[in-house]
Amino acid sequence: MTTVMSKPVSAPGKSIIEKLNFFTALALGALSAIVVWRLALQFLPQDTEVRLFTREDKITLLSMTAWFVGFMTGIGALVGPFRWLMGKDLTHEENMFLAGKDMGVKRYFRYTTDHKVVGIQYLVITMLIFGIGGILAMLIRTNLGTPEGGWIHPQAYNSIVGTHGIVMIVGTIIMVTGPFGNFIMPIMIGARDMAFPRLNALSFWLIVAAAVPLLWGQFLGGISTGWTAYNPLASQAPLGMDGYIMFICIFAISTMVAGANITTTVVKMRAKGMTWNRTPIFIYGVVASVALALPAFPVFFLSQVLSAMDRALDTSFYNTAGGGSGWLYENLFWIMGHPEVYVILIPAVAALMEMAPVFTRNPLFSFNVAIMGIAGISGLSILVWAHHMYMSGWAPLLNTPFMLTTELISIPTGMLFLVLVGTLWRGRLWMTMPTMSIFALLWNFMIGGITGIYLSDVPADAFLHGSMYVTAHFHYTLMGAGLTGALAALVYWFPAMTGRMFDKKLSWISFWMVQIGFNIAFIGMFTVGLAGQPRRVEAYASTFNTGNMITTGGAYLIMTGMLVLLYGVISSWRSGVIAPKNPWQAKTLEWTVGYPVPLENFDVLPVVTSDPYGYGKAKS
Amino acid sequence: MSVETHAHHEHPDVVGSRNRLGVVLLLVADIAFALSMIFVYFYLRQQNVNDMWLPAATSEHPAITPLASGAGWTVTAIAAFGLLAHFYGLKGVRAGNQTQLKLGSLVALVASIAAIVYQFNTIATAPFTFSDGAYVSCFYMFAILNFVHIMLTIFISLGNWNRARLGIYKSDHWHVDIVNVWWVWMVVSSLLGAFALSHP
Repeated sequence: MTTVMSKPVSAPGKSIIEKLNFFTALALGALSAIVVWRLALQFLPQDTEVRLFTREDKITLLSMTAWFVGFMTGIGALVGPFRWLMGKDLTHEENMFLAGKDMGVKRYFRYTTDHKVVGIQYLVITMLIFGIGGILAMLIRTNLGTPEGGWIHPQAYNSIVGTHGIVMIVGTIIMVTGPFGNFIMPIMIGARDMAFPRLNALSFWLIVAAAVPLLWGQFLGGISTGWTAYNPLASQAPLGMDGYIMFICIFAISTMVAGANITTTVVKMRAKGMTWNRTPIFIYGVVASVALALPAFPVFFLSQVLSAMDRALDTSFYNTAGGGSGWLYENLFWIMGHPEVYVILIPAVAALMEMAPVFTRNPLFSFNVAIMGIAGISGLSILVWAHHMYMSGWAPLLNTPFMLTTELISIPTGMLFLVLVGTLWRGRLWMTMPTMSIFALLWNFMIGGITGIYLSDVPADAFLHGSMYVTAHFHYTLMGAGLTGALAALVYWFPAMTGRMFDKKLSWISFWMVQIGFNIAFIGMFTVGLAGQPRRVEAYASTFNTGNMITTGGAYLIMTGMLVLLYGVISSWRSGVIAPKNPWQAKTLEWTVGYPVPLENFDVLPVVTSDPYGYGKAKS
Repeated sequence: MSVETHAHHEHPDVVGSRNRLGVVLLLVADIAFALSMIFVYFYLRQQNVNDMWLPAATSEHPAITPLASGAGWTVTAIAAFGLLAHFYGLKGVRAGNQTQLKLGSLVALVASIAAIVYQFNTIATAPFTFSDGAYVSCFYMFAILNFVHIMLTIFISLGNWNRARLGIYKSDHWHVDIVNVWWVWMVVSSLLGAFALSHP
C-alpha cells in the first residue's frame, strides 16, 4: 500500500520466515498457553497454607508467559536471533522478504520490518485501542448519568475504570511516536529505514502480544484496582490482575526497544547537512519522549515483577506483614508515572510546533527556546513523582521540594507556549484543522496546566486529591493537549501516509464536535470535583447530578465527533482526493518522496542545506 | 528492511557504531532496572517494616539469618573470569588472531555456564523460603534476575563462540566488541547485587 519496488529480487526459498504470520502466532500462542496451563494444573503442588490465589497466580502467570513466548515465536521474532546464534545471518532475499517486498496487504500481518508498514500497523492498533478505551469511557459515563448508578455491577464498573485507564494511557503513549515516529520520522531525517528494522517490528508485535493477557484478565475478575494498581490492593485483587502485570511487562519491553531504536536512528542516521540546528522540532519531541521512556519504563517493569512475585511466590515487597511497604510500590510506580505524562505530551506538542510554521508561513519562533523547553520538561519530569503521594503520608518533609520541582516545570512548559504563540503571531494563517488544533491545544493545555499548579500545591491538594477535579485535570493535559496534537498530526501527515487528502469537511466537523464536547465534559467534571465528588465511584450524591449530566452529555458529543473522524479516516483512505506531492508546501523531507514511498525512501540520500523553517526568507 | 539490506551501501564500521549505540541505549534501560532493584533493597532494609527485614525467631520459625555474602561474590567472580576470557578473545580478533578469539569466547561460554549452575545452586539450596521476610524477598529478586542475566549471557556467548568458530569475524569484529559491552555490564550488575546482599 505504501511502497513501490526499486529493483527486482529473486523469490525467497520456502524458509520458515515465509510460513510465519499473525495467524501462526495466534495458533502457537494459544497452543503454548493451553499446554502450559494443563501441565501447571497437573504438576504444581497445592499451597501448604491458606493463601490468596498463590497457586492459581502461578498457573495464570505461567500460562500467560507461555502465550507470550508462543506468540512471538509464531510471528517470527526469534528467527533473527537464532539465525545469529547459528552463524547463518539472514540473506539479502530474506531481508527483502521481511521488508514486505511484493507482498501487498499480507505484509501488515507479518513480522514486516519496513518502517512504513510498522507505522501503518501502529496507526491501526492505536485507533483500535482508542476505540476500546472510548467504549469503556462511554460505559463509565452512561453509568454516571444518574446519581444512583447501578446500570453496571460495581465490581465490573471498577474493572471498566481500571481497564479504560491503562488502555488509554498505552494508547496515548504510542499515538504519536508509534504511527508518525515510525512512518514519518525516518523520511524526515533523510534515512532509508530505522536503525534496527527487526527491533522496529518487534516493538509493534510486542504490543499485540501484550493485549491478549489484558483481555484474558477481564475474564478472571478484571482490574479492580484502577489503572495505578496500587499494592497491597493489587496483591489482594482477583486473578485478572495477572493480566495487567503481564500486559505492563510486555509493553515496557516494547517501549524500551522502541526507545533505543528511535534514538539510535536519529543520532546516527540523519542526512548529510542535517545538523542539530537543522533537525525538525518534531524529531526532538519524538527523541525526548522515547529517551525519557528508556530509564522510566524499566522501573514500572520492576514494580510489576515484584507484584507478580508477591502474588505468585508469596514474597513480601509490598506486604507490610512480611516487611514490605505499599509506599515502595507508589514510589516505583510514580517514578515512571510522571515522566510518562511527558512521554505522551512532548511529541504531540512537538508535532503541532512542526505544523505551526507550515500553516502560518512564519519561521518557528525561537527554535532554541523550543529545545530548551523540551529538555527542561524532560529533565524536571524525573524529579516530580512524589507530588502524587502528598496525601499518602510518605515522607512529609519532602513535600516542599517536590512542590517546588513540580511548579518549576511550568517554566519550560511556558516556553513551549511562547514558541507556539510567537509562531502564530502575525502569521498568514492557513485555516486548516491542524491550525485550529494549535489554538485548541493552547486553550486546553492552559486549563490543564493551571489546574495542575493547584494540584502541585500541597494545601490545595489536601482538598482536591482523589476528587473528580484530578480526573478532569489529567484529561485536559493528556486528551485536551496530547490527543489534540495527535489528531492534528493524523490530518497533517495523512497525505504522506496514504496518498490521499483527509476529507476537509469531516476533519472540521469532527474537530468542533470533539473540542466542544471535551470542554463541556471536563469543565462539568471540574465543577463536581471542586464540589467534592470523589473519583472512581459508581454512584454519587444527588447534589452532583447536574455536573455529571453535563459531563455525560459532553462525552456523547466527543464520541460522535470521534465516530465522524473514524468515518473520515476510512472514507478518505478509500476514496479521498489524491494528494499532490507536497500539499501543505512544507519544507521538511517527508514531502519530497511522493507517494507511494519507495521501499528505501530515497533513490539518492538527500543533503540538507537549509533549516526546515525558512518561511518568509529570501531564497529559502 | 534490515540493516543487512544496506550492507552494500555502508561500511561495517558505520553499522558497528550504530549497533553499539543501540546496545548502549538498551543497557541504559537495563541499568535503570538494576538501580531500581538496589533502591528496593535499601528502601526495605532502611524501613524494616514490622521488624520483618530479618524476622526474629518465633515458636514456629527459627530466626532468618542472611546468606553468607560469599555466594554473591563467587558468582560475580566467575562472571568476571568470563569477562576476562572474552576480553582476551577480543584482543585476539583485533590483532587478527582468530585462534585467540575462539579460545577466549569458548572459555567465556564455559564460565557463563559455570555461573548459571552456581547461581541455580544458590537459589535451590537457600536456607529459607520466599515468605521469610523482606531480606529474603530481595535475595530472591537479585538471584532470579541475575539468573536471567546469565541465561542471556549464555545465549550471546554461545552465538559468539559459534560465529568465531565459523570464521565469521575474519572481516570485521564489531559484534565481538558489542558482546564485550554486554559482558562488562553483566559483571557490573552482578557486582551490584553482591554488594547489596553483603549489607544485610
